[in-house]
Amino acid sequence: MNFRDLRLRVRAVFAPRRVERELDDELAFHIERETRKHVAAGLNLTDARARARARFGSAALAADQCRDARGTAFVDTAVRDVLYALRTFRRTPLVALTIVGTIAVGLGLVAAVFTIFNTLVFSVNPVRDPDALFAVERVAAPNSERVRFTWPDYEALRRETDVFSGAFARLVDIDSRIEGRVMGGELVTGNYFDVLGVNAALGRSLTPADDVRHAGRQVLVLSHRGWSRLFASDPDIVGREMTVSGFRYVIVGVMPERFRGLGLAPPDYWAPLSLMGQVRPIHAGREDTIGIEIIGRLKPGLSRTTALAGLAVWASRGAGGLSADGRPGSITLEPRRTFVTLSAEVVLVFLPIFFVFGLILLIGCANVANLLLARALSRQREIGIRLSVGASRHRIIRQLLTESLVLALASAVCAFAIARLVLQVTVSVVLRTLPPELAENVSITAPGTDWRVAVFLVIAAIASTVLFGLVPALQGTRLDLIRTMRGEVTSDSRPRRARNALIVVQVTASALLLICASIFLRGALRASTADPGWRLADNVIVEINNEPFRQAMVAATTADPAVTMVAAMWPGVLGQPRAVFASASAKATADKQAAGRADGARSPEVYRFVSPEYFSLLDIRVLRGRAFTQSEASSNAAVAMVSESTARTIWPNQEAVGQVLRLEADQHSETRRQDEPTLPSSTFTVVGVVRDVAGFRMAGYPEAGVYVPASPARAETDLIARVHGDPEIVRRTLVERLTSIDPNMGLVLTMRTLGRMETYLLQVGFWVTVVLGGLALILTVSGVFGVLSYLVERRTKEIGVRIALGATSANVTALVLGQSLRVVGIGLIAGAALAWILATVLMTTSAAAQIGGIVNVFDLPAYAASLLCIVIACILAASLPAARAARIDPIATLRQD
Amino acid sequence: MARQPVPDILAGTLDLLILRTLHHERRHGWAISERIQQISLDVLQVNQGSLYPALHRLEHQGWIDAEWGISELGRRAKYYRLTAAGRRQLAVEAGEWERMAAAIARVMKMA
Repeated sequence: MNFRDLRLRVRAVFAPRRVERELDDELAFHIERETRKHVAAGLNLTDARARARARFGSAALAADQCRDARGTAFVDTAVRDVLYALRTFRRTPLVALTIVGTIAVGLGLVAAVFTIFNTLVFSVNPVRDPDALFAVERVAAPNSERVRFTWPDYEALRRETDVFSGAFARLVDIDSRIEGRVMGGELVTGNYFDVLGVNAALGRSLTPADDVRHAGRQVLVLSHRGWSRLFASDPDIVGREMTVSGFRYVIVGVMPERFRGLGLAPPDYWAPLSLMGQVRPIHAGREDTIGIEIIGRLKPGLSRTTALAGLAVWASRGAGGLSADGRPGSITLEPRRTFVTLSAEVVLVFLPIFFVFGLILLIGCANVANLLLARALSRQREIGIRLSVGASRHRIIRQLLTESLVLALASAVCAFAIARLVLQVTVSVVLRTLPPELAENVSITAPGTDWRVAVFLVIAAIASTVLFGLVPALQGTRLDLIRTMRGEVTSDSRPRRARNALIVVQVTASALLLICASIFLRGALRASTADPGWRLADNVIVEINNEPFRQAMVAATTADPAVTMVAAMWPGVLGQPRAVFASASAKATADKQAAGRADGARSPEVYRFVSPEYFSLLDIRVLRGRAFTQSEASSNAAVAMVSESTARTIWPNQEAVGQVLRLEADQHSETRRQDEPTLPSSTFTVVGVVRDVAGFRMAGYPEAGVYVPASPARAETDLIARVHGDPEIVRRTLVERLTSIDPNMGLVLTMRTLGRMETYLLQVGFWVTVVLGGLALILTVSGVFGVLSYLVERRTKEIGVRIALGATSANVTALVLGQSLRVVGIGLIAGAALAWILATVLMTTSAAAQIGGIVNVFDLPAYAASLLCIVIACILAASLPAARAARIDPIATLRQD
Repeated sequence: MARQPVPDILAGTLDLLILRTLHHERRHGWAISERIQQISLDVLQVNQGSLYPALHRLEHQGWIDAEWGISELGRRAKYYRLTAAGRRQLAVEAGEWERMAAAIARVMKMA
C-alpha cells in the first residue's frame, strides 16, 4: 500500500459522499460524451443516448466495481449491513429485544462465574514479574499435615542456596481487634516489598532494616484498604501511631490501591515478621518454632526444574530440609503467579458450576433459535426478493452474519451489566444473611473484571448468536426463488423437527435444574427441622485462642453477670473432632465373653474432652450412672462417659457403667496437631451413660460417643456459657469485655448462630438452584408458549377445516395440547434420567459423597415435585394457544384467501 | 449491424493499453477508450464497464493520477495522467508484452 493509495482510501472512508458524487459525475460524463459522438454522427438525441447507454452496460455494476477498486468496499458493506440490521431491528423491536435480553441473561450468569474463575485463576498478582515467584514448601507425608518452615529454615535457605534473587517470609491472616473492628494483618520480612517490586504510595514501605528484632521504633505499613477503613484516607497519616495488641506502632507508609499482596484482598496492614511475638503474644518467646511461608523470586533465566534440583541438594544436606520426623523432606516450588494455579482439580470444581449456569444460556439460546426459525419463514420472502434482484448468496449470508454480530455485541454489553449486578447482589445478600458475628470477620467484595472477562463475553456472545441465529438464517437462503416470491412458504419438515428438539433440550435442562433445587430445598428443610440434640437457645461459645490469657478469659466469662454457668470442651467450635478406636478392656473384667472380644472388636468413635457442667448446660441427660465430678475434671482422671449407642455397641448385653474402656488413638485417619490435648491414659472406667446427640452434621461437628473429663483450665479447650437475656446482646458485651484482655481472641458465637450456620450452606445451594431453575422454567414456558402460538397461527386454516368437518373444541384443544405435551414428556424423562445419572456419577467422588450424607440425591418426592411443576407450567403455557385454536371460526378461515 | 463479435481485450493487457494511451498526454476515460479503439482500427473495443474499475485500480496503485479539468464539451471531466511510477511500470509491462508477442509470433510461425 503506497501513500497515494492510503490517501484515496482515507478519503473514501471519511468523505464518502464526495467520492460517490465524483464517481457518478465521471460515469455520467462518459455517457454524455458518447452520446455527443453519436449525435455528431447523425443520430437523434434519444437514439444516441440509448446507444451510449447500451454500449456502456450497467452503470451501477461499473460503479460497484470501481468501489471495489477503492479497497474500502469492506467498510462500506459493513456499514451498510449494520444500518440494514438496525433498520430490521427497528421494524421488529420486540424480536431484537427478546433475543438480546434472553442471551444477555444467560451470558451474564455464565460471565459472573467466569469473573470469579478469572479472579482466582487468571488474574495475575499485581507485582513485578510474577512468573518468577514461587513458594517453597515441603511435600506433606501421607496422612499428615504439611510441616512448615520456620524462621531458622528461612535464614538457612537464604544463606545456603542461590536459586533466588530474593526470598521473603510471611505469616498471613493475623486478625486483631483494633478500635473494636477486626483488622487483618500480614507479617512480612523487610525485603517483602522489594522482592515484589512495589513502592509505597505514601511514605515508605518496610525495609530489611526493620527485620532487626527490638530495634527501637516499631513500624508498620498500611494497605490502601486499611488506610481508608481505619483512618478515612487521611493524607497526613505517615508518622502517626496506632496500637496493635497493646503495642504502639509508627505508620511509616501507605501502599498503592492496586497492590493487594499475593492474596485476593489486601490485609489492612503489614508489620515486620520480627515483631511476631508482639503482634501475637502467643508466639512470644518461641518465634523460631512458628511455621512461616517462604516465597522467593527465581534468579533470571533459572527454570523451576533447575531451581528444584538446587533446593533438593540443599534439603538432602539436612539443615533446613529436615521434615518433622528427622528425615530429609522433599521440597516443591508452588507458582505464585496467580492466586490459584490452574490444575485439573480446579477445573473439576468449576466444571459443574459452569455447566449449571451454562444450562440457562442453553435454554435461552434454544428460545432464540426457535424464534428465528419462526421468523426465517417470514423473512424467506424478503431474502427471496433480494436473491432474485441479483444479490449473491454470499452477500446475504454476510448480511445475516452482520445481523447476528450486532445482536451479539448488544447482548455482550447487557450481559456485562447483568454479571456485575449478579455479583454485587450476591455479595450483599451473603453479607446480609451471614450471622453478624461472622460477617464482621469476612471481607467479601465483588471480584473485579478485566479484559479477559470482556474477551470471554464477546466470544461467548458471538458463539451463541452465530450458532443459534445463523443456522436458521442459512436455511432461509436455500430456497425455491419462484415460490417464495409468490409468498408460498416452502414447507420443510426440518424446522419442525428442529423446533421439537429445541423444546426437548429446554425441558430437559429445566428439569435438571429444578430437581437440583428441590433436592437442596428438602435437604435444607430436613436440616433445619432436625434436632441436633443440644440446647441452642441460650448458650454462647467463647473460643480461647491464646493460652497466656486463658485464666483471665475464663475468669472474665464466669464473672459476667449474664452468665450463669460455664463449661469447657475440646475440640472447639471449628475443630475437627478426633477419632479413636474404643473397645472393652479385658483387664478389668472377669467376663470371658468380653475378654474374648476385646482384641478384635474395636469400634471407631469420636471423643471429646468436656467439663462436668457440659451435660446439664447442653441438656444432655445422664441416663445411667453419673456425670463427672469437679475433682475428676481438674485431675484428668481416667474416667469416661459414653453415649447410649456407644454403650450398646461395645457392651451389647451388659450394663456399661462400671466397665473399663480402652481408647486407642487413630493415628492414620486424622491429621493431628502437635499441641493438642492427649488422652491421659489408654483405659478409662465408665462412670455414666448419656443419651445420644445427633450434632451438626453439615458443619462437620458431630457429637462424641465418648467423653473424657477436662476443666476450663486445660489448654486448648473452648468455653460454652449459659446466659440469661438475649444471647446476641450478651455476646456483644462479652466480646467487648474479652477484647480488652486479648485483642487477638477468637470467635464468640451464639449456639443459635451455629444452628443457623448448619443450614446456611444448604440454603445457599437451594437459592442458587431455585433462581436458576426458576429462570429456566420461565424461559422454557415462554419458549413453549411462543412455538405453540406460532404453530396454531400457521395451522389456522387446517384447524378451521377440522372444525368445519365437525371437530369439537375439545378435539382441537387436545390436538394442540397433545402435540406439545408429547415433546415435553420426552424432555422430562430425559431430564430426570440425566439428574439420576449425574447424581450417581457425582456420588463416586469423595467430596460429593460427604454431601450425599446430608442431602438425599435420589430423593424421589423431590424428583416428582419438580417434574410436576414443569408439567403444570407447560400445560398453562400451552392452554392459551390451545384455547385460541378452539375458538377459530371455520368460516372466517376458509374465506381468508 | 451484423458485425463479428469484437474480441475482448486480452486479459491483463487493459492496464498496459491504458498506461500507453496516457504516455503523451492526460486524457479522460472516454478519450482513453476512444483512442484505443481508433488506433487499433476498431479491432480492440474497451468494455466500458471494466475501463473505470481499471482506472480506479491503477490510481490506487499510484501509476496514474487523477485531476478534474474542463473537457472539450465545457463540462467538468476527470483527467488521468501518468505518474513517474506509472512510467516505470509502462516500460516494464511494454517490455513484457513485446517478449510475449515475439514468443507467440515465433511459435505461430515455426511450430
